[in-house]
Amino acid sequence: MTKRRMFLRMITASLLRRRSRMLIALLSIGIGATILAGLVTIYVDVPRQMGAQFRSYGANMLLLPKEGGALNPDTLEEALAVLPENELVGAAPYRYVRLDMTSRQQSFTAAGTDFSQIVKTSPYFSVEGNYPENTREVLVGKEIADTIGVRVGSSMELTYQPTAAASDRTPEESRVPGATLSGSAEGFGGGIVYVTATLDDEAKIASLAVDASTQTAEYGGRIPEDEAYLSQFAGKALPIESGDVDALTGATVTSSAVVEALNKATAAAAPVQPKTMNFAVTGILTTGGEEESYVFLSLQDMETMTGSDQLDVAELSVSASADQLAEYVEAISASGENVQARLVKRVTRSEAAVLSKLQALVFLVTAVVLLLTMICVSTTMMAVVSERRREIGLRKALGASDGSIRAEFLGEGLFLGLLGGVMGALLGFVFAQVVSVNVFGSSITFQPLLLPAAVIVSMAVAAVSCLAPIKRAVAIDPAIVLKGE
Amino acid sequence: MSLLELKNVSKIYGDLKALDNVSIHVDKGEWVAIMGPSGSGKSTMMNIIGCMDKPTSGEVLLDGVDISKESSKRLTDIRRDKIGLIFQQFHMVNYLTAVENVMVSQYYHSMPDEQEALEALGRVGLRERARHLPSQLSGGEQQRVCVARALINHPELILADEPTGNLDEANENIVLDLFAQLHKEGTTLIVVTHDPEVAEAAQRTIVLEHGKVAREVINENFGK
Repeated sequence: MTKRRMFLRMITASLLRRRSRMLIALLSIGIGATILAGLVTIYVDVPRQMGAQFRSYGANMLLLPKEGGALNPDTLEEALAVLPENELVGAAPYRYVRLDMTSRQQSFTAAGTDFSQIVKTSPYFSVEGNYPENTREVLVGKEIADTIGVRVGSSMELTYQPTAAASDRTPEESRVPGATLSGSAEGFGGGIVYVTATLDDEAKIASLAVDASTQTAEYGGRIPEDEAYLSQFAGKALPIESGDVDALTGATVTSSAVVEALNKATAAAAPVQPKTMNFAVTGILTTGGEEESYVFLSLQDMETMTGSDQLDVAELSVSASADQLAEYVEAISASGENVQARLVKRVTRSEAAVLSKLQALVFLVTAVVLLLTMICVSTTMMAVVSERRREIGLRKALGASDGSIRAEFLGEGLFLGLLGGVMGALLGFVFAQVVSVNVFGSSITFQPLLLPAAVIVSMAVAAVSCLAPIKRAVAIDPAIVLKGE
Repeated sequence: MSLLELKNVSKIYGDLKALDNVSIHVDKGEWVAIMGPSGSGKSTMMNIIGCMDKPTSGEVLLDGVDISKESSKRLTDIRRDKIGLIFQQFHMVNYLTAVENVMVSQYYHSMPDEQEALEALGRVGLRERARHLPSQLSGGEQQRVCVARALINHPELILADEPTGNLDEANENIVLDLFAQLHKEGTTLIVVTHDPEVAEAAQRTIVLEHGKVAREVINENFGK
């Protein structure tokens, strides 16, 4: 048998066969380790826990389109891919437009959104009735509902009146077969020359009309009636090169303005018809905020009405620390051309403040528990040494060096620390779980790192607690404690 | 050839002269009893010989080495290497079995060897009780375990302090028989006692009184 095995045999025998005393030492370490492990678990878990709690106060991040970029379901999804899935509580997209209720001569701000996400990002929304589940259903803000007198189960007819938007197509994009192009350019003396051309099936000029009323009547002003001049353009493809057509004699400036206006001409935007749809009211929304003056409908309906899937903003609820949130904001803004992220500072700041206070509190309690555990273990070990004075004296009489005595007591202490640590890690998890369920109302996941951490800490605590008792043990004089009589 | 020699050894506690200029010698292989009433200095002498205390003055030669001025660390080494101790109150590690108690002595001396420890227990007739805890052994059995523990490392000197003080007649005889056997094998034995019967079992008795050697008695009947 090796010395090491004998050492372990002595230590385990000491712990196992002297159960009552060692149980007390083990309990003090174990309970200390339990509370420590529990608190540390909570400490580590608190940001997540509180994060989840805070999330019920609404979104803490906004996604907006970058200048020149587009926010739509696709770019939104790309941006969301930056965030870890388990930290994204919800992401509610919004598109705001004005809708008219012609029957009441009213118009409201309507928000197209995803109701399944609203539940997550704005849990404080209070709905009388239900959130819409299908298309052709709306949620009406309390204020509107009161104004126009709708209730759950009512129906309302809403109309989208598109504003006549200027064509945003380029001249090149506009040159499609059958298109009507219009353009203008500066002519003689700063007067504007207007042209309107229709294209044939091959996107070549079929007809051309010129408005040169700003030009000198005897010169440029003659162009609209000059068949010979205008006929040059028929069958020509755009753009027209400067040498392709001859300028009208005496009106060269106006002639080149006509060519320039043609080359710049774009198709007039196709007029969009007003779109009217009938909706069923499934719920009345009370929030205490401006949302009460909105009508909410599904994104599908919004797209059907406006013919576009563009979004104005997405409200995100992300369960992460302030630092992490700031990183995510950077990452999302850097991830593409379309979307930028912003923090809702009011929310994130107060979260960070509450968290740091809570963590400081847990830290303080942990330190106190650590100290108490140390005192308790030290006292127990001191009692153990007193109780075993004879044995220690005997060991010394048998030739144990001070080092051996130290090693044996330290060994027992470390062994207790090991057992107490394992016990503490497991019970501590249970403790943390109970606290978490009762205080935060959610369960926590076991941190695998907790076990070695708890074991190391309790072994260190046990070792430190053993220092004074060991000193006393080493000082024992065998001649005195072994004396007969 | 002497194994132990005390030259003019005194031990003074304040005003009390526990040992007063004592000179004795013990030969290798000899069996010596140290007798005397309480307060005669027996325990002090035992502690000094057992390397658990140092004299105030004088020389203590153990195996030719003066141990009177060694550091306590050196004394621990010498005690471990040369001396087997037996106490009146047995002193066993109460949470270790008989064989483990013997092995503790091996552990501090060199290497624990369970087989050897079991054989030593066999010598004292306790092979069958090797796995018992001290609380499961009688006083006589405990003292025999202590004898096994004292002899396990083959010490030059076995130093016994009132080894039969807490034993009944029958167990006393068993222990004395064991001593006789060890003596035959050449082990030097010093037995501190106030029991004349135990002293008579030895070859020679040194009688202490008031810290001085009062007389030495050669046991004429030794071995008979």
